[in-house]
Amino acid sequence: MVRFILKRLGLALITLFLLSVIVFLLGQVLPSDPGRSVLGPLADPHAVKALDHQLGVDKPILTQYWNWISNFPGTSTQYQAPIGPILGPALGRSIKLAIFAFIIVVPLGILGGVVSALNYGRPVDKTISIVGQSALTIPEFVSGIILIVIFAVELKWLPVSATAPPGSGFFTQVKYLILPVIPLVLILFGYIARMARVGTVEALDSDYARTAILKGLPRGVVIRRHVLRNSLLPTITVVATQTGYLIGGLVVIETLFRYNGIGLLTYNAANQHDIPMLEACVLTIGVVYMVVTLIADISFSLLNPRIRLRAAE
Amino acid sequence: MSRGNNELDRLREGRTELENHYIDELVSGNLSRRDFLRRGSTIGMSIPLLGAILAACGGGGSSGAASTSGGSSTAATGAPTKGGMLRVASVTPAAAVNPLTVSDAGGLTMLNQTGEFLIFDSNLKLALQPMLALSWTPNSDGSVWTFKLRPNVTFHNGAMMTADDVVYTFQQLADPKNASNALSTFTGVLTPAGVKMVDPTTVEFHLEAPNGNFPYLVSSDNYNAIIVPKGTDYGKWQTTFVGTGAFKLGSYTQNVGATFMPNPNYWGTKPYLDSTSFKFYSSQQPMLLALQGNDVDVIAQFVPAGAAAILNNPTYKIIKLKSANHRELSMRNDQAPFTDARVRQAVAYTIDRPGAVAALLSGDGTVANDYPFGPRFPSTDTSVPQRTQDIAKAKQLLAAAGHPNGFSTTMATEIYQEIPQLAQVIVADAAKAGIKITPKIESQALYYGKATYGNSDWLDATMSLVDYGDRGVPNVYLSAPLTSDGPWNAAHFKNKTYDGMVKQYVAATDLQTQKQIAGKIENLLLQETPLVIPYWIDGLTASTQGVNGLNPTSIAQIYLNAAYKSA
Repeated sequence: MVRFILKRLGLALITLFLLSVIVFLLGQVLPSDPGRSVLGPLADPHAVKALDHQLGVDKPILTQYWNWISNFPGTSTQYQAPIGPILGPALGRSIKLAIFAFIIVVPLGILGGVVSALNYGRPVDKTISIVGQSALTIPEFVSGIILIVIFAVELKWLPVSATAPPGSGFFTQVKYLILPVIPLVLILFGYIARMARVGTVEALDSDYARTAILKGLPRGVVIRRHVLRNSLLPTITVVATQTGYLIGGLVVIETLFRYNGIGLLTYNAANQHDIPMLEACVLTIGVVYMVVTLIADISFSLLNPRIRLRAAE
Repeated sequence: MSRGNNELDRLREGRTELENHYIDELVSGNLSRRDFLRRGSTIGMSIPLLGAILAACGGGGSSGAASTSGGSSTAATGAPTKGGMLRVASVTPAAAVNPLTVSDAGGLTMLNQTGEFLIFDSNLKLALQPMLALSWTPNSDGSVWTFKLRPNVTFHNGAMMTADDVVYTFQQLADPKNASNALSTFTGVLTPAGVKMVDPTTVEFHLEAPNGNFPYLVSSDNYNAIIVPKGTDYGKWQTTFVGTGAFKLGSYTQNVGATFMPNPNYWGTKPYLDSTSFKFYSSQQPMLLALQGNDVDVIAQFVPAGAAAILNNPTYKIIKLKSANHRELSMRNDQAPFTDARVRQAVAYTIDRPGAVAALLSGDGTVANDYPFGPRFPSTDTSVPQRTQDIAKAKQLLAAAGHPNGFSTTMATEIYQEIPQLAQVIVADAAKAGIKITPKIESQALYYGKATYGNSDWLDATMSLVDYGDRGVPNVYLSAPLTSDGPWNAAHFKNKTYDGMVKQYVAATDLQTQKQIAGKIENLLLQETPLVIPYWIDGLTASTQGVNGLNPTSIAQIYLNAAYKSA
């Protein structure tokens, strides 16, 4: 197990290094330059040159890369401030929102999928599938605006923005996160329910399930002991792969609900040609993604004795 | 009326020739009360004096630059309520809040929360107002301007503000070695050596060329020009927000928001509010929802596109300011078929301007006439007739230019506010005369590119549709996009007669001369039509009904010194 984790960590470091090089090179291709982004399109060329020099982005690309890596995470060119105090809280907010979304959607999705599978081909199955698929297709900005207008503007039950006042308690924070979580639940429910349904159907159809039923185990016990465990496996894969989206891809939700997560920060860094910030964001998202995948692989092997860790090596 | 004239004679005594000239213009009706206020304050006449002269001349002739709907925003009835926190929605500053480099609405809104200018260009009061300068006077040709500073002003760090600080501020802003955004204003106008301290409360500006509108360039119009203490490290300004304003920094969190507290040592009337809280938004829609959901009390600035829910709702107060914010559609004067002025005129005649104002701006704008003189500027010659949509005339001009069946061309533009929709309107209108335009709508970064000739779709495209923000005087609009050596001449318009006229206009210190030259420039630009200006866009600020005393400008500043929330 230890060897497995160490090997994975080594691979992760290489991946992160390659990622940093790719992002750095892509950053050079982005239109405009940092000085121009800060000073605006109408700024005097002298001023742009002076700022580019101040920021050190007029140096050779290798020097720039070395400067960046030796000062990691360094200073944001757009905010002219250290990256850590900006990125840290943004990541914290993103993780909070992602965890909250998973806590709601994972049980809901698994329940939906299992109920569907147990009622395979019946109206309940079809309803859950159709609702899940339809919800999946509603863009976040549509469901988000509708939710805000109904629950925040008209009914005034929930706050418009997702950012709770500083120093808020746990339940206040939860209250602020309810509205932004709903569009995410709508999108993820369909995925998870479908995967859980497929897993359950396969498990129900398997020899071991049939054997268990034939040897006279009650239906409830068969489902709990044999079926549910196997139907969870594909769900873990979905959760792991959606983490990247939930941590770094929520630009629309973060904009609409004024929730400053890492997604919006990354988007703005790319727009503003802020390479140090972009690098820090991408690498952070990369680390989170790798950690989650690692946890998923480990839990996969724990849930499924057939998959031995040695095989994963 | 005779009492009034005696009073006027008394007021005329001791006034300079130029000041008496403006009084003559006011009496004869050549100058409206509004224009008199603007011009008088530009050459340094005090507001009480201007008021006394207007009173002596009696009523009439006044027109407001600002209108409010859903109740009065500027002057509320009864005594102001003290205390409370005002929550303001504002655009997220795009970069560091550094007075030297700020170039975006979100950033400049932050600067003016704690910082003050020598002069405040008030859209609500229609005139330049003394802020940290008490008075300003030009020499005979307008090449040297002398500013008297307000005494006994202290910075938030306790230091006294003197001429030293003003000299430091403007030397930094005008230094070509600095990353100063104000260089686009000061290049060719002011060098660091031209800023001189005379005594602790007097500063002289020695200009590179006479400039009749110089006070505007050191006013709040030049949003970078807040006065900072001598020796300030601009790069670290955002950690202190040090200034002289009625509010001082509570806290500033990048991308999230900022809070401000009253400055107990403020030189003017102390604020009524206990604190202000700014919340940053990266797009307009969530701001509008936040106002409706009672998450904020004020939206510092917004545009009409997509704001119908607020604009037509009596629950909210809207402050509308006439602004010079506009769009320019340039045509490459050096590339066929736009080498022929008739073809350029034909494009101008196809556009339904009132229709565009109604559809894209919800009516919150004014039709424009293909030259950068509009309702915001007193020097505009309003006798030049407005161009209207005339498809038959457009076809006739095209036929005369050898394009009886029209032609095909391309237009580059940016994704910004209502511009993509305006591009569609232009494409549809031009098609009516047989001109087939293929639009290329790009992100701002792609469209502006390096913002130099040969490296920018904005400056290189055959047709290019761009935004221009508000300014207090038309100088930049007249020179940068239109003169032969202008840095933003997307039309590649080169006309020696025009260049000469602009030089004369910029140097002119009296309004009558400015107006005369403006008339000539307007006619020349209509004849040549290097570019089309479809409309001027109003500046909009919104609040709930309980908010009073807001003081916004049309370039996204908002002073909250006199703001209060009534119960």
